[in-house]
Amino acid sequence: MLTCLRGGRVIDPATGTDAIGDIYFEAGRIVAKPDGGAPVETIDVSGHIVMAGAIDIHSHIAGGNVNTARLLLPEKHRAIRARLEGTPLSTAKWSTYEIGRLYAQMGFTTVVEPAMAPHQSLQTHLELAETPLLDTGALTILGNDDFLLEMLRDGESQTAINDYVARTVDATKSLGLKCINPGGVAGFKENMRVFGLEDVVPFYGVSSKQIFQALQRATQAVGIHHPLHLHMNNLGIAGNIDTALATIDASQGLPLHLAHVQFYAYGKEGKNGFSSAGAAFAEKVNANENVSIDVGQVMFSETVTVSADVLKQYNSLTGANPKKGAIFDGDANGGGIVPYAYQISNYYNAVQWAAGLELFLLVKDPAQVFFTTDHPNGGPFTTYPELFALLMSADLRAQMMARLPADVLEQTTLPSIKREYTLYEIAQMSRSGAAKLFGFTDRGTLKVGAVADIAVYKDQRDKAGMFRKAAHVFKNGERIVKDGEVSHYVTGRRLHTRPSFDKAIEKRLDAYYDELYGLPRTIFDLPAAALPHHDAFAEVSCRS
Amino acid sequence: MSNATLDGAPIAIGAAYEHSARVLAKARFPLVAGLGTDVAGARAAILLAEKLRGAFDHLASDELLADVEAMRSFGMFTTTANEARLRADVALFVGPGLTERWPALLERLALGKPAHYHRNTPRKAIWLGPKRSEGKIQGLEVETIAAAPETLPALVASIRARVGGRPIALEGAQAKRADAIAETLKAARFGVAIWSASSIDGLAVEALQGLLTDLNLTTRFSGLPLGARSGAAGVGQIAGWMTGFPPRTGFGRGYPEHDPWRFDAQRLVESGEADAALWISAYDGEPPRWSRKDLPLVTLGPKGASAEHGLFIEVGRPGESHDSLELAQEVSSFVLRQATKPDAAPSVADVIKAIDAHISENAKC
Repeated sequence: MLTCLRGGRVIDPATGTDAIGDIYFEAGRIVAKPDGGAPVETIDVSGHIVMAGAIDIHSHIAGGNVNTARLLLPEKHRAIRARLEGTPLSTAKWSTYEIGRLYAQMGFTTVVEPAMAPHQSLQTHLELAETPLLDTGALTILGNDDFLLEMLRDGESQTAINDYVARTVDATKSLGLKCINPGGVAGFKENMRVFGLEDVVPFYGVSSKQIFQALQRATQAVGIHHPLHLHMNNLGIAGNIDTALATIDASQGLPLHLAHVQFYAYGKEGKNGFSSAGAAFAEKVNANENVSIDVGQVMFSETVTVSADVLKQYNSLTGANPKKGAIFDGDANGGGIVPYAYQISNYYNAVQWAAGLELFLLVKDPAQVFFTTDHPNGGPFTTYPELFALLMSADLRAQMMARLPADVLEQTTLPSIKREYTLYEIAQMSRSGAAKLFGFTDRGTLKVGAVADIAVYKDQRDKAGMFRKAAHVFKNGERIVKDGEVSHYVTGRRLHTRPSFDKAIEKRLDAYYDELYGLPRTIFDLPAAALPHHDAFAEVSCRS
Repeated sequence: MSNATLDGAPIAIGAAYEHSARVLAKARFPLVAGLGTDVAGARAAILLAEKLRGAFDHLASDELLADVEAMRSFGMFTTTANEARLRADVALFVGPGLTERWPALLERLALGKPAHYHRNTPRKAIWLGPKRSEGKIQGLEVETIAAAPETLPALVASIRARVGGRPIALEGAQAKRADAIAETLKAARFGVAIWSASSIDGLAVEALQGLLTDLNLTTRFSGLPLGARSGAAGVGQIAGWMTGFPPRTGFGRGYPEHDPWRFDAQRLVESGEADAALWISAYDGEPPRWSRKDLPLVTLGPKGASAEHGLFIEVGRPGESHDSLELAQEVSSFVLRQATKPDAAPSVADVIKAIDAHISENAKC
């Protein structure tokens, strides 16, 4: 059925569009305005903003660590209302079903889970398969695994590393590589409690820097669109801006994505020895086109931190609120789950909040910076509407700043920044730029031929309200949200990329698993055919 | 080919599905229990419980929740059997029956062989309260400490106290022994404690986690829990992502509520709060423990199991009769178990789907 969204303000940075216009779609795709013949269904969206469905590039929504957070904190997610018809479990808080519903209501149609351990990939995929309404993808974690570290220790060729990387991404059906405190998590198992960029992993004699550089080169060599997605060393520590700047200096001019960098934008100024280095970080990003970042904004709220940086998470246990946590020394990475409450009256939390906003506002190219709260680490993804509103209004920020501890404002440049994001820039960050970052050619845009994932918002002064409840959301051309409520479920696709590799690596891995674990390698294989909705995989092509 | 009986007499499978749907849909508060099944079966069962606005529980929830409760009230350190195999220089076994719970345990840990890391450091093993037949590891001397399960929490607590340099009430040889164990644990580089909540209680699990917490102040020490029978650990995970909660969760209000007392299947049946049940035990055909015979009951079990009363539908054993996804103890992750003796018996998921087809969405709304 041909449908027309008539008379809305169409904002589509991928095509340079910001104008009143009509969008047509049929059979799940955006189509050109037909020659004659009225569309079967016309929806008047005058007074509304029309954008492509939003893409979240980094949100911990699935996998063993996320599930541990659910089981660790039953008191934090008591359900309070019955679900609507046709949407089973959609009000079960923190469930995969609720995640799908809440994202869809905000006009999000694609979400990337950024931390899938190769040996745990089946659970991540099981959870993603059970997350309705969204297309999803994942990033595979390497960088603390024995096989890679041994290759580096033994000085093996980059070609061999490339084959291993490509094979791992292909076998775990992901969109690319994530590297989390490279070497640091392995080091923690040998009782290292801090681990920096130049630190050397016990038994392997390789530094953190060498690990991420090798993975960066491999990602490029095998044609994975998404740059290496790096969670750097020293997360959350005062003065860690030095680590971040040194990491960028070590990035070899190759594409590199730095995750939740707010957590690395800290100096040691002020009487508390903790200050925002957001401005210095942003300046560095502006000078290095090869680097993209997502912010990991802190939003004042109760939340839980979920990370495969086990070393950092162990160190965080002392600040747990409520006072409990789970530490999992898994194969290679594992995870640490520590509840936390960000408070506006807390000096450190307020500096974190300010540093994140400085990063958003001082990085000049919206295609280099992405909104995230590193859900749930800086705050839940449901705070995005408030975050967008803060970016769009200096007044709103000033109101918030008035509530911070007074000495915070001496340790941030935020009060001097008047920039306000436009809707176009929000769309660049959350649609066109995000699509480009992963090599998605069929989404993040309303161009003809794109998937008809469309979000329509009622234009209003209250930007948070506008983004919280989309007026209409279409997934593959099917309406799934009206007036901010999900009407029914549709099954999303799992997006993945398939870099090619020399199959000889599999024989080598067979021997390796047999020798080291006494297990067949295939026990860790992702049995895609056995998954629910196993026909819902969709390939994102590699760079040629 | 499928077999079904009603009160012991054969019944056509189509009629069995219809009968099941009638029994469950007309109940005021139906129970989906047992849950001895794989990923597909557990998903289907939990969705059915939600649709019926009933409750779900697992037959080994007491054990599953002993671990969950220790985590959510205190915290938890865990690792995998793989990491223990590669890295553990000290293994602390806690409680009896570990090798019964997981027969391949000792072979998998391979403690008699050098670790992948610290290759030249001999490994050490301590076993608190083994069964008489347990506590031997090929190629490795095991220090065994006799202890009855009910004394384990105090024993673990005394070791914890000595790790922290705090005084204990024990004297003489017992105090010396606690000191010696504490020293061994503190000297570990990467120690692993192995326990099963099937043989030690929640208090012992929490005491053990307290010990691990203190050990990690100066060195590394983690824990390897052995999951309870009938896929309990896996069902706990599945329930977690589907509802946010482990089993013993009810949907009476149209949303999940978790309460280990309120939604205990045994209690719900004995008290009369549940007025019908779907009992699933696809691995072992384990019968429910409740004594009520008048409860309208639908049982899903493997060939050979049978229900004296109510409806029985035969299902295939996961991983034997049909391919199955389940949480594997040997790798602490979900894996595919390929059918070892494929046959045409329906899976739990197949049967629930067939029953569900006869239950309308609005039955309970």
